[in-house]
This record gives sequence, structure tokens and C-alpha cells, in this order.
Amino acid sequence: MRRSTVFSGCCLSALLLLGVTLLAPRTADSATSDVAVVVNSTVPVGDMSFTELRRVFLGERQFWSSSLRISVLLHAPAARERDVLLKTVYEMSEAQLRQHWIGKVFRAEAPSAPQMFFSDEEIVQALAAIPGSIAAVDATHIPRGLRVLKIDGHLPGEAGYRLH
Amino acid sequence: MKYSRVCLCLGLLFSPAVVRAQSANSSDSAELVRALLNRVEQLEKRVAELEGRSGPRAPAAQPAVAPAEPAARAPDTAAAVPNQVAEAPQVHMRHGGMPEMTAPSTHIAGFSDIDFGATNKPGSHSGFNEGQFVLHMSSALSSKVNFFGELSLTARSDAGTGTPAATGFNVEVERSIIQFQENDYFKASFGRYHTPINYWNETFHHGAWLQTTISRPEMVQFGGSFLPIHFVGALVEGAAPAGGMNVNYNFGLGNGRSGVISRAGDWGDINNNRAWLVNLFSRPSALYGLQFGGSVYRDLITPVGPLAGTAFHEWIESAHVVWSKENPEVIAEFANVTHHEAGGSLKSNSQAWYVQTAYRLPRSARLWKPYYRFEYIHIPGSDKLFKAVPSLAGSTVGVRYDISSFAALKFEWRNLRRPGEPWVNGAFAQTSFTF
Repeated sequence: MRRSTVFSGCCLSALLLLGVTLLAPRTADSATSDVAVVVNSTVPVGDMSFTELRRVFLGERQFWSSSLRISVLLHAPAARERDVLLKTVYEMSEAQLRQHWIGKVFRAEAPSAPQMFFSDEEIVQALAAIPGSIAAVDATHIPRGLRVLKIDGHLPGEAGYRLH
Repeated sequence: MKYSRVCLCLGLLFSPAVVRAQSANSSDSAELVRALLNRVEQLEKRVAELEGRSGPRAPAAQPAVAPAEPAARAPDTAAAVPNQVAEAPQVHMRHGGMPEMTAPSTHIAGFSDIDFGATNKPGSHSGFNEGQFVLHMSSALSSKVNFFGELSLTARSDAGTGTPAATGFNVEVERSIIQFQENDYFKASFGRYHTPINYWNETFHHGAWLQTTISRPEMVQFGGSFLPIHFVGALVEGAAPAGGMNVNYNFGLGNGRSGVISRAGDWGDINNNRAWLVNLFSRPSALYGLQFGGSVYRDLITPVGPLAGTAFHEWIESAHVVWSKENPEVIAEFANVTHHEAGGSLKSNSQAWYVQTAYRLPRSARLWKPYYRFEYIHIPGSDKLFKAVPSLAGSTVGVRYDISSFAALKFEWRNLRRPGEPWVNGAFAQTSFTF
């Protein structure tokens, strides 16, 4: 009786160990937690400094070139990509970001606030469609045909990449 | 009608029996599937035909755009980039960075505020007052041409008096600007502006919700005379990275002040001398949140009223330093106004400055923001043009509570003193919002 109890206990422990190993949330590697900055294929830039990226997302820089306007596309509030931008690039709260863009348009410094999208599919479709567009997307789901910008010489997943 | 409804109900009622009967007979169901597929095919053809008649469809993300043309460059394949898992849909747009528009896309927003005030100033009454009702319009006329407009409606104290009776509200075109943007370095515009020689005037305009406090500093009070609030003419502006200093500039040429010096020359210039201004400011990349800069403004004023027949050269030099982050927020501005009588020796210098600090408290969801401002205006007796502008020293202390992302409550205590008058204390409250 005792031997069978010990045996079944061992079996249960082994099963539990196996289950814990298989079902435990895996530690995300740096690439999966990064947010990539992707641009429409017409954008003539491949590498950008972090401060320049900030100017773009703040609407302080509005043109890639004289013939190509920058269109900033943003995820809707609560999306992880937006949270990463708020924390690392804007250094603002959601309310501050809204006030920033309302003020920007009100001051006649920008014709409109960034377009907002509610799904990855929508933002990817808009990125492909709008010349000069730029957005932040999950680094694990970058569709072909969109270019990923290096930020300060780093791609998502590389050491020194700041958007995560 | 009644008969068809009865048939429909009977049909629905017996449909399960029909389905059961069909499942019992597989050959019948296969035939039904074939018939349904044929029907679907016919309907699809019909939909395609109808879509063809109504013209090509715009991409979902860009409403109201014209038919698509191929993009200027073929999309790059990014094989070197990791994690590319799916093909991006290729929807083509017109060249130029913006979809071709069939009509101007006008966006209208607004600001308003409702206020309460009570002071111990002799002859004043406590009570509510309707603040400004402001409408802001922005319209992209093309990818490079934009229009911005700002209209205000302000309650009049003389409403209903006079013949004909004065209206309840004063309507004013605060700003009307048509702007051509070549690139970030060069933008040219024409219209009526808030004179870009003062940070507050150029940043908050008539949006009470945008500013931390209830009141504007006295040096840029609407209807005030110390600084020219409005400017009618042309502006050239732009920004250059300048090695991380991000230098912005404005050059303006316009009508300057009218005969009533609190007003701009909307109707036309009162003399043949144009006013001009230069404004430079920097937002260094290394110190995100910092802005500093300065301006020079020059005009020839030909006043009406008691000073009619004389003219004054006006020089304004101003400077500002701003830390725009809210932990803390600091705004400091200074302006010196020099009036020199044309053909005479009379010269005077008047100064105004203020320092405002605020801090967004980290607790309570960051909704509370206490603030304090000290302001000072000095007008020498020799300044004939500013005879009606009183000197001032005063403090403003208050707190802002953000009810929502688009509305705020503010409570403010002001303590002001003008020369020869007793201290005036006042309590004020405001709800301001954007819509």
C-alpha cells in the first residue's frame, strides 16, 4: 500500500513537473517584446536617430522630403504598441498625448492628428496604402512589403534597441 | 400582406421538418447545395456588376479618396528583416504623400469655458459668466495647402442696450490662416494670426482648456494693449534640426497695430509702414521638454484719440524659457516695449514678465495639478501710449483637476495690486473643455 502510494505520488509529481514545464509562460526574448518602427515603402529613410523618431511622432518633423509628407499612424489606446510609444518616445500619459495633438492642430502646426487604428490588420493595410506613413507594430508580426527602420542603428531584438 | 406573413410563419415553422427530411435523403441535399452554390455565384456576379457601376472603392483607411494609381516606387522586399510573417496588402494611392481629395476635408473642434468669480474690488459683483465659445476649423486643401480658422463668441456686457440693441455675443475672427507647406524648413502663410512674439499667445490661443490656469497673464490679456495680440499679414516659418538644437523661426510682415492700439489692422494699415517681426526658438533634442527663444517686433503706431497727430516707433523685444513637461511645468516670459515719439525726443521703456510653475501630482491618477504664477508689469509715466495700461504686481495660486481627457475644473485665488489702488483679492472657478 505504502509502495503504491509512493509510486503514484512520484508519477503525479512527474506529471506536474512536466505540465509546469510545458504550460509555464515562456520568458519573452527581446525580439518578442520589442516594437518595430515600420514605414511605407516610399519612405527614403532606413535608419533614424531616436531623437529624430521622437520629432516625427510628435509632429515636429512633417516631411520626409518636399514631395513626401509624413503620415503618423497610431494604434488605438490600450494597444501595447501605443503604450510603448507613450512610455519611450512621447514620455507622456494618454491624456497628455491627446492634449498634445489637440494643441498641435489648434496652433496650426499640423493639419490633423495622427490617424488611429483599432487592429493590426487595419494599420498594416494603411501603412501599405499611404505613401510616407510610419507606425509602430509588434516586432513579431511584420508583414512583408513594409520596411523596418533601424533606430540608432539597431533593429528590433538587437542589443541597444529602445522601443520595448 | 397578411397572407404572405402567414405563409412565412408556416414556412419557418415547418423548416426544421424540411431540413430533417433533407438529411434523410442525401441526394436531395446535394442537389440543394448545388442550387444554393449557383444562387451564390449569381449574386456575386450581381454584386460585382453593381460595384463596377458605382465606381472603384476607396481603401478602408482612407475615406473619400479618388481612384488609385500605382505608387511611385515598388515596395521593397525586406528579406533581411526578421519576423516578417505575412504579405502586406498593396493598396495604391496617388503620388504626393496624400490621397487625392475630391473636396476639402474640414475638421471642426471647439473650446469653451464657464466661469465663476468673486472679488473684493469695489463695485464688482460676484457671479457666473459664460467664457468664450471658440470654434476651430482646419482644412487640408491639398497635401501642401492648409487652412486654419478660429472664431470666438464672447458675451457682451452691454447686451440689449443701445439702438439697435447690442447683441448678446461678440463674434470675432481670431485667426484665419492659409498656409503653404513646402517642407519642414519653409512654410509661407497669409492671414490673421496671434502675434508670434509671445509663447502664451502663440501656444494656447483661445483654448482655456489647453492652459493650466484660468486666466492668461496680464501682458497677453485679450483686449489688452501691452503686446499686440493679433497680426494681419504674412508669415514665413520653418524648423531646422541644427545639430539637435531644433531651431524654429518666424519672419512676419503685416499691418501692425491699428489706431486703437489694442486692435490689429484688420481693415487695413493705418499708415504706410508695415510692422515686421522675427521670432527664433529652440527645442533641444538632448533636453526633451525644454524650449527657449526670443523675438523682435517693430512697428510705427499712429494712434487715434487724444494722441492723434503723433506717431510712435515701437520696438518690442521678448524672451521665453519653457519646460513643458508637467513634473514640473515652468513658463517664464519677459517683454520690453520701447516707444519713441517720431520726430521727438520722448522715449520710454515698459516691461512685463511672469513666471508660472505647476506640478502634476503623481497620485490620484495624475488628475490634480497645483500651480502658482507671479506677474509684474511696469509702465513708466513717460509712456504716453500706455497711459491706459496700468502697472501691476500679483500672484495667482490654484489647482487644476482633469475631470476627463477633454475637460478640466480649475480653482484659483488671485492677489493683485495696481499703483494707487488697494490690494484686490479674488476667488475664481472655471470648467473648461474641448469638444
